[in-house]
Order: sequence, then C-alpha cells, then structure tokens
Amino acid sequence: MIFHKVIYIVFLFLIFTSASVSQDIQDKVRVSLLNCFGENSQIIFEKFTLTFQLRNSIEKKVGQKFFLNEIYLYKIYNEKKIIGYGLLDNVYGKSLPITFLVMYDSEGKILCSEIIKYREPYGGAVQSKEWNDQFKGKNVNSDFQPGKDISGISGATISVNSLTKGIKKLTLLLNEILSK
Amino acid sequence: MKLKLTIALVILFTQFIHSQDFNFFEPKVTIGGYGELHYNNEKIGDAPSNAIWDFHRFVLFFGYSWSEKWSFKSEVEFEHNFVKNGQGELALEQAYVNYHHSDEFGFNIGVILPSIGLINEYHEPPLFFGTERPVYHNLIIPTTWFGSGASVYGNVKGFDYRVMIFETLNSDKFSLSQGIRGGRMKGYKTDASRLLYSIRLDYLNIPGLKIGGSFSFNNAKGDSTQVDVTIAEIHAKYTANNITAVFEFGNISYNNGELKASRGYYFDLGYNVASFFDLNTKITPFIRYSDINTAAETISGGEKEKRYHFTEWMIGLDVKPIDNVVFKVDYSEQTRKLDDRKSKFINFGVGYMF
Repeated sequence: MIFHKVIYIVFLFLIFTSASVSQDIQDKVRVSLLNCFGENSQIIFEKFTLTFQLRNSIEKKVGQKFFLNEIYLYKIYNEKKIIGYGLLDNVYGKSLPITFLVMYDSEGKILCSEIIKYREPYGGAVQSKEWNDQFKGKNVNSDFQPGKDISGISGATISVNSLTKGIKKLTLLLNEILSK
Repeated sequence: MKLKLTIALVILFTQFIHSQDFNFFEPKVTIGGYGELHYNNEKIGDAPSNAIWDFHRFVLFFGYSWSEKWSFKSEVEFEHNFVKNGQGELALEQAYVNYHHSDEFGFNIGVILPSIGLINEYHEPPLFFGTERPVYHNLIIPTTWFGSGASVYGNVKGFDYRVMIFETLNSDKFSLSQGIRGGRMKGYKTDASRLLYSIRLDYLNIPGLKIGGSFSFNNAKGDSTQVDVTIAEIHAKYTANNITAVFEFGNISYNNGELKASRGYYFDLGYNVASFFDLNTKITPFIRYSDINTAAETISGGEKEKRYHFTEWMIGLDVKPIDNVVFKVDYSEQTRKLDDRKSKFINFGVGYMF
C-alpha cells in the first residue's frame, strides 16, 4: 500500500513539473490575446499545417525557414463574430528559439506583437513593448526592414533581424489563409 | 487506489503530450562565426605609402545549450591567417558556462569579454562602420579584450546591467603610446591576487537607441610597477529611420607612473541612401571624427601630452547586400597635434557573420 502511495506521489510530482514546463507559455499567450482583443473574447485554438508549396513560397520571399511545419493559430471571436487572429511561432536567435505571438485584426493588419519567451542571455531588449509596438498597423504590404521601418537595437542585431523576418513571415501566411 | 493511479497516469500522459506541444526548446549545438579581409594602404607623414592585404580575423563560434537555462559558448579567433614566430595569433576569446535564470538575472564564468564600450562584446564586422574597428577601440578601449572572469547580468525595466570581476591588467605593459592596451593578459596565467571590477548600465527602452556607460577599477600590478587604474566611459548608438549615429567617450586614469590619463572620443553619422530608391541593399555613406590622446595627462607634461594626441576625419561607405555581409571602403586623415604631421589611410574590405 505504501508502495502505491509512493508511486502516486511520484506521478503527482511528474504531472506538476511536466505541466509547468509549458504552462507559462500557454498562460502568457492567453493573457496576451485577451489584452489585445478584450476580456470578452473567445479563443479557438488550432494547428495550421503548412503545405509544401505555401511553406516554400513564403520562405523564399522572406529568406527565413519556418521553425516547424505547423503554426499555432488562434481564432478570436466576439459574440460569434470573428474579430481577429493570433499566430504563435518561433525563430532562432543566436542559438535558442524565441517564441513570439503576433495578433491581427480580421483583415490581416497587425494589432499587437509580443515576445512570449526569450531564452538567450543577450539581446533580450527585443521583448520591450516599445520595440514590439513598431509593428502595429503593418500588413502584407509593409517593408519589415530593420534600420528602415523597424528600429535596430544595438546588441540585439541577430534577434532583431530574425524576429522581423519571423513577423513578416506570419503576416504573409495570414494573408494567404484569409485569401482562401 | 488503482483508479487514482490510472487517472494520474492518464493526466500525466495527456499533460506530457500537451506540454511537448508548447515546449519548443531542444538541446542543440550552435555554430557561427565571422571574418574580415582587409586592404590597408597607409602613408605616415612624408614616408612612402605602404599597402597590404590582410585576412585580419577568422573566428568560429561554438555553443551548446543543455537546457533553456544552462549553456556553453565559445569563440576561437585566428588573426592574420597564419601563426609563426610571433606573426599572427590564435586565441580562445570566449569560453564560458552561462546560467540564464530569467531576463532579470543570469551569470557566466570562464573566458569572457568585459562590457566596456560598444564594440568589445559586439565586434562582428557588419556591426560597425569602417574597414578597421574605430581607432578609439584600439587605443582607448582595447578590443578585443578578453580574459578570465565572471559576471552577473540582467535587464530590469529597460535597464540592462552587468557586474563583473575580471583578471587584472599588467601595469608593466602600460604605455604612453597605447594606454592600457599592452596590459591585457588574455587569460594567460594571470596574477590571481588582484582583480578588475566593472559595472555597466545601459538604457534600452527607446526604440533604436542604446545609451549607457561603464565604470571599472583595477589595482593593476606587474613585476616592477603597481598602478591603480579607473576606466570610465559613456556610449550611445542610434539605429532607426535609416540613420546610424554613434558616440563614445572614455577616460582612463592612472595613479602612479609617468602616465596620468588616457582620453578619447569619436562620433559616427551615417545614412542609408538606398532608402531613397527603395532598394533592399543598404548603402550607407558615413563620416567619423575621432580625438584620441593616450597620454592626455603626464607628470612631465609639455610635448609628451602632444606626441600621442591626434584627431582623425574619416569618410566611408558601408554596403550591405544582406544584413550579414558587408563591403566597406574608407579614407581617413590623421593629424598629430605635436607637429601637424598628417597620415593618410585608404582601406577596403569585406566582412561576414553567421
């Protein structure tokens, strides 16, 4: 019986620790979506699988590969009407993935952008609200050029370049999703 | 009990699948590097001009991330393409274990780079104007400055800090012509009885701007001298709206010996003119002005304080077809204060990073 109890406690511990690994990412995504779209929004989560063709054409246009073959898509509803989208993806900084969320209105214009998890010791300044706010209002026709329409950050060059391309990639992708 | 266990198992299994979905980290090796090939043509005073080709630096970066918090990073540098009889140089410029607890706090220990000035930590060729690094970063802040040490770092509300203890300088090697440059021990069997203490603070929450400074103290010692050194510097860099502007000022004080202070500053101003034509290549003409005096204050004064004092104007062009490749060309003229002797330099080169 004691043996059972020990196993049970071990399981509880495992459940707790395995959940906490990712819980912070999910919680942060939820909070960011509600902050951007309002507390009364309903969130429907799905994974969007990239077709080979779509993946290839966007990667070529932007000059950056997708992190995975799947993009995490959040559809945001208010009173059964779709009001926007959130796309969660990753890009590599110098060596570790940067997890970021871009939120769009129903037409594909950026409303909010947020870094959900930054793991590198250097370049963390890309998480600042001020830097992310620069993407507000951009859409598929925008430049997305660091140093031009996006400010650089001295000491965070790799993250700035990588994230700017990542956000451009998601913006092109959403445009494709919406035009279907 | 069995039922409880089954439920726990099911929860664990679903949690596991679910958490894997959102756990994007994987242990991973990172390889990177940078390099630069230079053409240097110099004409010092009335002497005939002299031109060379130099593959100045070839650097490989290796890193490994065991977890999101623990990683190892290293940089091996090979200078001037060849090592023999004191020519060329092979050096381990970085090799440290890093613990990244959170944005607010992390630490590293090993062979590290002091956070002094804008370029020492971020010295890849696409990140600065001019074929060679600014002369300020040769004579006032001697880059690349590396050695054994440990630091604590983090970012709190836009303030980026780093506090570090670092190996001592060798005061026997300080000089009127090069300040502290010769005193760097480069991680080689450094006297452990004394340390350099350094603190750096930057503010980063204005898009495009980095502004800050650092202060360092070292009770440096050699075989025959002992000198307390303080290094104070401020720096700012703005990159936005096609403008790149840089300013740095540094002062080094010495409490013992002929040399009392080294001092210098420079500023850069560049504008990406390709933006007028909507090109993706960045074409940035720039100007730089430097004022450098490695012997700004001496005990004897007079000529000694003028001999190593010079100003420099530089004009140049920085072309980046992509962000990680740069072609550079520049012309500069130095004027020595002592006798108005003029030296002229023409440099061009190509640099890359990945």
